[in-house]
Amino acid sequence: MSFVFEATNDPDSVIVRIGKALDFRNAAEFKTVCQEKVRGGARNFVLDFSETGILDSTGLGSIFSLYRQVSPLNGQVVFASVSRPVQVVVQLTRTYKVFRQFPSVEAAQEALS
Amino acid sequence: MDSVTYHFQDLDTLIEQVHSLFDTWEGDSDLLDIFSLSTLYQVKIATHEWLANLVQHANFEQDTTDVSLLVKPVDDRIFCVIEDNSDGFVLDEHLEIEPEYLDSLPERGMGLLILKICTEDLLYHGGEMQAINRLEFYVSADQDQWPNTPF
Repeated sequence: MSFVFEATNDPDSVIVRIGKALDFRNAAEFKTVCQEKVRGGARNFVLDFSETGILDSTGLGSIFSLYRQVSPLNGQVVFASVSRPVQVVVQLTRTYKVFRQFPSVEAAQEALS
Repeated sequence: MDSVTYHFQDLDTLIEQVHSLFDTWEGDSDLLDIFSLSTLYQVKIATHEWLANLVQHANFEQDTTDVSLLVKPVDDRIFCVIEDNSDGFVLDEHLEIEPEYLDSLPERGMGLLILKICTEDLLYHGGEMQAINRLEFYVSADQDQWPNTPF
């Protein structure tokens, strides 16, 4: 159930492989690690939802928290490879208005570079 | 998808077990002839949000925790019932939350709103010393959630 953070060639950017779920069970951990990354200089976060079967309200709240941290620093949070279950939540909550979506992590990285 | 009531006694594994059920239903070709995957995922997120609420906030005082889940197709809708033997909640106030009381991009408090948005005929009977609390709702295959979306 754990997510994986990957460094990129761009020191300001981080890829987060969300994995199977981002929900009330691991959202606090996600938030903590993201805060550490931001303190370490990361500004742009690409969230890879390709394997994600559940994104719940708590998980979404932790993403909003990340957004609030990086936005004042001209950073971005974008979604990549959004799975169908996550797309349902994105549509329900209209978070597509805030977070750009890309068909792949590579496409997201290119857009952020 | 057969009309069966599933019982769960372990809150630590409840979410994983229910997710496994949905994984099974995603591969049910007979079910997907009737309902789209998007509809099934709406049922999944609605069910998950309520079960997450139970796991995090319900007070189960009895020796045996019992949460039951019924999911069954009814005409062009999917009907769900979740019952539990916790102390229950007083929900009316929470279900009346209006969008303007939420900050934009709220970090908390979205769970019940998401539950309301993706369901129809949501009913809860619980708290007030009832032995069994019951949440029931429908998810329509044709439901257009856009007009109900408060965000």
